[in-house]
Amino acid sequence: MNSLLTSAVAGLTAAGAYALLGVCAVFTYRLVAVVNFTGAAIGTAGTFVLITLYDAGFPLWPSVFAGIAGGTIAGVLIGFVMTTWFAESAASTKAAVTVALLVGLIAIGLRLTGGQHPHVMPDLFPGSAFRLAGVEVTIASALTIGLAVLFTLLADWFLNLTRTGLHLRALSERPMAAELLGVRVKLLSIFVWAVTGSFTAFALMIIAPQRSPNFMTLSLLVVPALAAALVGLFRSFWIALAGGIVLGVVEGLVSGFDGVSQYRGAIPFLVILGVLLWSQRGARWDDAR
Amino acid sequence: MSIFKANSVSVNRAELAIVNDVDLQVERGTISVLLGANGAGKTTLLEGLSGVIRIAGGTIELEGQPLQRARPGARARAGLGYVEQGRTVFRELTTEENLRVGLHDSADISEAYALFPELVQRQDVPAGLLSGGEQQMLVIARALLTRPKVLMIDEMSAGLAPVIVGRLMQTMRKLADEGLAILLVEQFAALALDVGDRAYVMRRGRMVYDGDCKTLLDAPDKLHDFYLGSANTEG
Amino acid sequence: MMHASLRSALTIAVSLAVAGAAIVGLLPPYWVFLATAVLITAVALLSLGLVTGRTGMIALCQMSFAGVGAWTVGYLNVWNAPGGLVAWIVAGGLAAVPLGVAIGLPALRLRGINLAIVTLSFAVAFDTILATITYPGQTAFISVPRPGIVDSDEGYFVFVLIIYALIAICLAFVTRTRLGASWLAVRHSERAAAAHGVSVPMAKLSAFAISAFIAGISGGMLAGYLGTLVSENFSMMQSLLLFAVATMAGAHFVEGAIIGGILIVMFPELLRRLDLPQDIGNVIFAIGATQALSTGETISETFRRLARKLLPARPVAEASASREHLPPPVTRTAGTALAIKGLTVRYGSVVALEDVSFDVPAGTVVGLIGPNGAGKSTFIDAVAGFLDRYGGQVSVEGRPLEGIGAHRRARMGVRRTWQTTRIAPELTVGEYLNLAAGGLSEDQRVAVLAWIGCPSPQVPVAAVDAGTRRLLDVAGVVAARPAVVLLDEPGAGQSYDQALKLGERIAEIPALFGSAVLLVEHDMDLVRAACSQVRVLDFGRIIASGPPDAVLDNPVVKKAYLGHAAESEAA
Repeated sequence: MNSLLTSAVAGLTAAGAYALLGVCAVFTYRLVAVVNFTGAAIGTAGTFVLITLYDAGFPLWPSVFAGIAGGTIAGVLIGFVMTTWFAESAASTKAAVTVALLVGLIAIGLRLTGGQHPHVMPDLFPGSAFRLAGVEVTIASALTIGLAVLFTLLADWFLNLTRTGLHLRALSERPMAAELLGVRVKLLSIFVWAVTGSFTAFALMIIAPQRSPNFMTLSLLVVPALAAALVGLFRSFWIALAGGIVLGVVEGLVSGFDGVSQYRGAIPFLVILGVLLWSQRGARWDDAR
Repeated sequence: MSIFKANSVSVNRAELAIVNDVDLQVERGTISVLLGANGAGKTTLLEGLSGVIRIAGGTIELEGQPLQRARPGARARAGLGYVEQGRTVFRELTTEENLRVGLHDSADISEAYALFPELVQRQDVPAGLLSGGEQQMLVIARALLTRPKVLMIDEMSAGLAPVIVGRLMQTMRKLADEGLAILLVEQFAALALDVGDRAYVMRRGRMVYDGDCKTLLDAPDKLHDFYLGSANTEG
Repeated sequence: MMHASLRSALTIAVSLAVAGAAIVGLLPPYWVFLATAVLITAVALLSLGLVTGRTGMIALCQMSFAGVGAWTVGYLNVWNAPGGLVAWIVAGGLAAVPLGVAIGLPALRLRGINLAIVTLSFAVAFDTILATITYPGQTAFISVPRPGIVDSDEGYFVFVLIIYALIAICLAFVTRTRLGASWLAVRHSERAAAAHGVSVPMAKLSAFAISAFIAGISGGMLAGYLGTLVSENFSMMQSLLLFAVATMAGAHFVEGAIIGGILIVMFPELLRRLDLPQDIGNVIFAIGATQALSTGETISETFRRLARKLLPARPVAEASASREHLPPPVTRTAGTALAIKGLTVRYGSVVALEDVSFDVPAGTVVGLIGPNGAGKSTFIDAVAGFLDRYGGQVSVEGRPLEGIGAHRRARMGVRRTWQTTRIAPELTVGEYLNLAAGGLSEDQRVAVLAWIGCPSPQVPVAAVDAGTRRLLDVAGVVAARPAVVLLDEPGAGQSYDQALKLGERIAEIPALFGSAVLLVEHDMDLVRAACSQVRVLDFGRIIASGPPDAVLDNPVVKKAYLGHAAESEAA
């Protein structure tokens, strides 16, 4: 029993990161209607700004902020491409564009960061936060989950209680009607990309020490992120948050079993399959077509 | 000097020429009424003027400033208001939130409630749950709160009860008298001609009448032909 | 139709044979070896082009299917299964099919984006599985043997070339069938495809199954090519790369797949010789794919467009044929073709249709008119099965339609057109007509097109102007000769003369094709020309009915169209 709990708790850092990435994916989809396959790659870019600066001897925390800025800039660049050339495109075209951009980003990332050889990733928050039923919960895991909850709360607050949030909600529901009322649609869309860029960068910095931090593996965290977002049906922040946490914990649990631990990479696939089968009971027509 | 001018505007939709070489002018303090049978190209013309779709040719000016290349948002910020047909409320936003989206700094939400008192008790209701008439009031009020200089309204009375239509017409007259330039697309031709100053009639993508409303109102046969066609009317 | 398929099959066979002979005869062995890799990649690209380019779904696990094929070949080799490489490769392709279907199933009815997520996650899952099982026979140094005659690199090149040609030719035939047209139709508009009686899930699933089969074959060929394989050959990154290149090159075209294969194989080779880092290729592919998506034109399509410019432009020939070749009308019993009883549709609190009842008798054209927003299009959606819920009963020739989906209603005899034309521009006029109404002879097709004034069958839809496409819409539904056709504003955007001519044609439909017609139209001249009876909708209710002239003179109708004052004027 205790070993089960240990494995489950070991999955919490990943759980928090998946949750945060998943919530960001929902945020991007709801507000700018893009299923973003580059989500994790954007954050990875920021993480490697941190790694590079830290390797070069810069102090840790300024490097962290530079890394977050890097993620923000990467997000803005992708957002610029999407809003400039694909603002009127169908959702599936936009998704295809982000897939293509992911291929390019990974290639550039691997080139700039020296391929797949592992890097030294500073542990931003070493140590344990508290004990849960006799099992150490690390600061990193408490922090990622906390950050995911904070982002969800902030997103709720921001969307519901600020003027910009109001514009974003209007924009996401009827872009043209919002534009006809004078809302600055392009600027706001890029703002959304910037916000998700900075948050995913920070999330990836926390989870990176646990993974082999090369550009590709980190960029592929987009798969559990989209799985979590899909659990929330790309609508609900809170369900996506829960989905991400469950995904991470299940992954931790599976890692605890010898025979199956090497297959844990297949878990997002099974979750996605399950969610899709369950969610499409009623759906019939593609709205747009 | 007209505040808003469209010169030889043509608009295509899915490669079909829907609006051909149309001229139109709107003056401050007046109501212009744009009439024509369904499919004549009225909505497409308004979409071209507002920037919702790109025009294939011609120029558009607001207070002498060329707008034909501007994005719809830029046209809106320049003072060109446009109420699309189909009551495009933000369904998940409340009435009050809908009104706040485009709220101009010098405008106040109470103006909207003064104009349409029905909306007061619905202010916290999601706009998707309002009745058709309330939604129509909401989109008109929402556009007015952006403080437009020119307001174009498509199918203002579509699906509305006659009582409400009558009141909306009076409201339009009042707003025009206060200095707004209004362009109405209306299917209740007679009613619109009654409050309007200048009338335009489109048929098959072309402007076939440009004159005052009174003349058209006094020639019901002509109006009937414009709308319902007849065996001896040529296109 | 068959003629065009044969010609294109012959073109493919001859050009591949010439290119193959040139490569084997002129190039040094290393280049022949590379050319084999190009063709194997091109097969994988063809498989992806089928799902992505033709059916419009994003599939990101194509190399996983190839991996299934490769591993199957490996196991059959280790087990010494009978049949040799060729049989093993086919078995590898078949092994990928159930997997393709299983992955396609959950994403069938929802947005295409979900398929992208499912397939990407499957590619990742498959990566972790392959990483734990080494290639069969690898530890015992058993590699996949090539049969004697194709053992040399040249021989294997010819073997791969023949398989590529076979697949390309089969695809050329399939894409010209009704099934192939249905893939393009689904990509362009699922609703319009269903309105032609196409089952959208079946169209998607068949594309996915065939695509998985072809991908499996490419994996099997790779096993014979390299002898032994590693999981990296089939990693998710390879699938993503394949997607980017397919998007950029246009892998649903025969030449597009080859161009893509050359890009994937030769580009790194070129960069290596220039001493440049090889991953520059991926960046260029990403940019190329983004560019293709923003312009909507792949490399193949660019080449085709330029080629068309070089060739003298052929004028769009209007079909000509006498009416005696028209397909014979389906004999129908006199009576009611379409019966509507108490039809009511609500959207939330808005009532779009309220208690609408009327019949469309067999052999007649009934007009349905009314101001904007009166509920006419909602009416057609409800009858044709595009609304989830409505109240009341709709029946065609006495058979109730409640609970029956759109594509089955179409097959039962309710066919519709759309306010905006939704014909896939990649089809030819003849292919579209075959999609809309299968089983006609070439003469009959030409006769239908000539009757309404459309171009001849071999003209691509892309070359047909938008006004004529609307006529083609009408030609499609009447050629199917259903019990009733619902025409949604066929006259929109037509000139006055065209509209009158269209009205005459519509009036002929019952006699020529045996179908009753319900015509929704704004153009009153067209309505007068076509209809014997008119119903007027306003606020979702029928407010008047009768012969056209009487109805249009009715004061209530004038009021609905012109407003209140007209009432006093008329009174």
